[in-house]
Amino acid sequence: MRPHIIFRYTGLILLFNAAFLLISALISACYSDSAFLPLLYSATIAALFGIFPLIYVPPTTDITNKEGFIIVVSSWLVACLVGGLPYILWGGEFTLSNAWFESVSGFTTTGSTILTDVEALPLGLLFWRSATHWIGGIGIIIFVLSVLPSLGKASMILSRTEMSPLALENFHYRTKKTLQILVIVYVGLTLAETIGLFICGMNWFDAVTHAFATIATGGFSTKNTSIAHYQSHAIEIVVMVFMLLSGLHFGLLFAAFQRRVSGLWKSSVVRYYFIALACGVALITLSVHGAPFFTWTESLRYSTFQLISLGTSTGFATIDTTLWPPFAQLVLIFFTLQCACAGSTSGGIKVDRIIIFWKGLLRQITKTRHPHAMIIPKIDGVAIDGEVLEASFLYITVYLGTIFISCLILTALGIDILSAFSGSAAAMGNVGPGFGIVGSMSNFSQIPDAGKWVLTLTMLLGRLEIFGLILFVTAGSWK
Amino acid sequence: MGIRAKILFGFLILATMLFLAGAWSIYELRTVGTSVQRLLDDNYKSIHAARVMIEALEREDSAVLLLLAGNWKEGREIIASADPSFQQGFEIAQNNVTISGEKACVDEIGETYSAYKDLWAKPIVGTKRERDLNWYFKELHQSFLEAKSAVERLMALNDQAMYQTAMNLKNRAHRAIMPGIVAILAALVFTLVFTYLVNYYLVSPVIRITQGVQSFLQTKEPFHVKVETSDEFQRLATSLQELVTQCKKLEAV
Repeated sequence: MRPHIIFRYTGLILLFNAAFLLISALISACYSDSAFLPLLYSATIAALFGIFPLIYVPPTTDITNKEGFIIVVSSWLVACLVGGLPYILWGGEFTLSNAWFESVSGFTTTGSTILTDVEALPLGLLFWRSATHWIGGIGIIIFVLSVLPSLGKASMILSRTEMSPLALENFHYRTKKTLQILVIVYVGLTLAETIGLFICGMNWFDAVTHAFATIATGGFSTKNTSIAHYQSHAIEIVVMVFMLLSGLHFGLLFAAFQRRVSGLWKSSVVRYYFIALACGVALITLSVHGAPFFTWTESLRYSTFQLISLGTSTGFATIDTTLWPPFAQLVLIFFTLQCACAGSTSGGIKVDRIIIFWKGLLRQITKTRHPHAMIIPKIDGVAIDGEVLEASFLYITVYLGTIFISCLILTALGIDILSAFSGSAAAMGNVGPGFGIVGSMSNFSQIPDAGKWVLTLTMLLGRLEIFGLILFVTAGSWK
Repeated sequence: MGIRAKILFGFLILATMLFLAGAWSIYELRTVGTSVQRLLDDNYKSIHAARVMIEALEREDSAVLLLLAGNWKEGREIIASADPSFQQGFEIAQNNVTISGEKACVDEIGETYSAYKDLWAKPIVGTKRERDLNWYFKELHQSFLEAKSAVERLMALNDQAMYQTAMNLKNRAHRAIMPGIVAILAALVFTLVFTYLVNYYLVSPVIRITQGVQSFLQTKEPFHVKVETSDEFQRLATSLQELVTQCKKLEAV
């Protein structure tokens, strides 16, 4: 392993972050708020650390798989570290643990916050908070690779490491083209939502920051009461539509835009995604009708928004779901675990793995009935490789195991079981809000510092799809 | 980029980080100083003036009770000293309007005090008002309470502003310390990276070239040293390799 190569690539990521920090500092300067110097100094530190390896280390595109893994994971860690700098320099509610939590939550697009008063934050810092979502949304590395001129083999290794293996299945292009598609869809959706929200009555600043948070399926809002602040049907509809779109595979979305939107429905993953959400909405609407909502319209309105928000791992809120009946909460927890499609900005286990899991389960049942039968599970007529099947089962097991361990530690720290479990599941799926003390209208400020560190580790594990971080930690023993 | 420039660049980065952190800390500390001064000038002065006014008002209230009891001399003596004291406090408050809403408060004090003064300025001893406790409680004491409440509002307003300034001061103090801590930690990490890169790109080639030359001296075989950068070391390695080749040629001749 060559540390200098890792420094060079991590430097590129730092420069990219420095650019966004500088934009935030400029916004801060425009509004003459107190975050200008913290943002400017953070941008300077990130830029200096980023430029230095570029001067020393000559460019190389020849990197190994191991180096690729370490570059990807260390880029995330360094970005989170630098991302927390403006918070800790600004002060207020940001202690070391809080700044780290907010930064990791931002980059991993979790959207959980420790802030009790979001609106007290200067606009520059609010913009940076949303920008961390947007940078992390499609993946820091993917973003940088798509902007930079071709890095050849390095580009391929890094994008393969960064992207979910399931997400790559639907891309049949060369690496550069795949990256371009991702960024075109990402930027396009962001622009479209910004305009949509502005037309619906948001100011430009709120429209941009909320679009960043929606398309990245993050969930940071500039208001204490999230989307509920606006009390606007139009805004809720725009946010819901873009949350749904952001939960779809970007490759399929691109193809659908190019050819026919109806083509999207041919994918069984997309079909399951929409049908599951529709079933979820129906179940929750039935559950919340009567109490706390007296009309069907209200029940449907809030159920749809909350389910799409959690089911796409965004985490925006229009109502306090901690007051909902246990059945509705359990349905929401299921979607917190499942989330949306692979190849989107969403977190969680992902719809694709759930389908693979069911196909595998059905195969096992048939095998038990007919031991000599040759059964090949298929999705959209394509046979699922045994390795993919095994990896999906393993992923779901480790995923749930991680949530259990995180929940165990949180309960040991004195947190009630509902808050601990839902908080852990929300962190692992990069969803954001849970239930109990970490509900949709609450925040994570009541979690002890040790708990915040555990949750940030869980967020990173979820974002890097578990094995990335494990491989990074065990890099020394990797031959 | 040459070796000199590379080393210089490393030190420049280190210096920039520390300089910026220092400059920012100094700026924040200066602002803290200004805020402390403002805290004393703007808020504390008004709070002190309000205290003086309240004390004067209470003394006037006692004096009025003495007048009601027919104690003219003592009552007038207290009023004669309390009224200028109130006026002095009021003048300070009037000339120290620094926060929003303060002017309205001061105007209200002026109005309520005038109304209160109008009541006790007229003769009491030897008139029908002497020993008229009903008049005292219905009119005079009510007027006194109104004036006192107006002064208390001014005090509360300044108290609140003082708390806000103190909170800002706390944040400013935090911002004065944090850049230093961040700069020190960043400098430490940077030093480690710098040392690694200097070792890898500057020290290691020297060692490799030296080993190559020594190996040539022992074996008389041409050597090849791999230098990744295109700086002075690359040129040195190429020159030495050429020298070795020429030496070999000369030896052959």
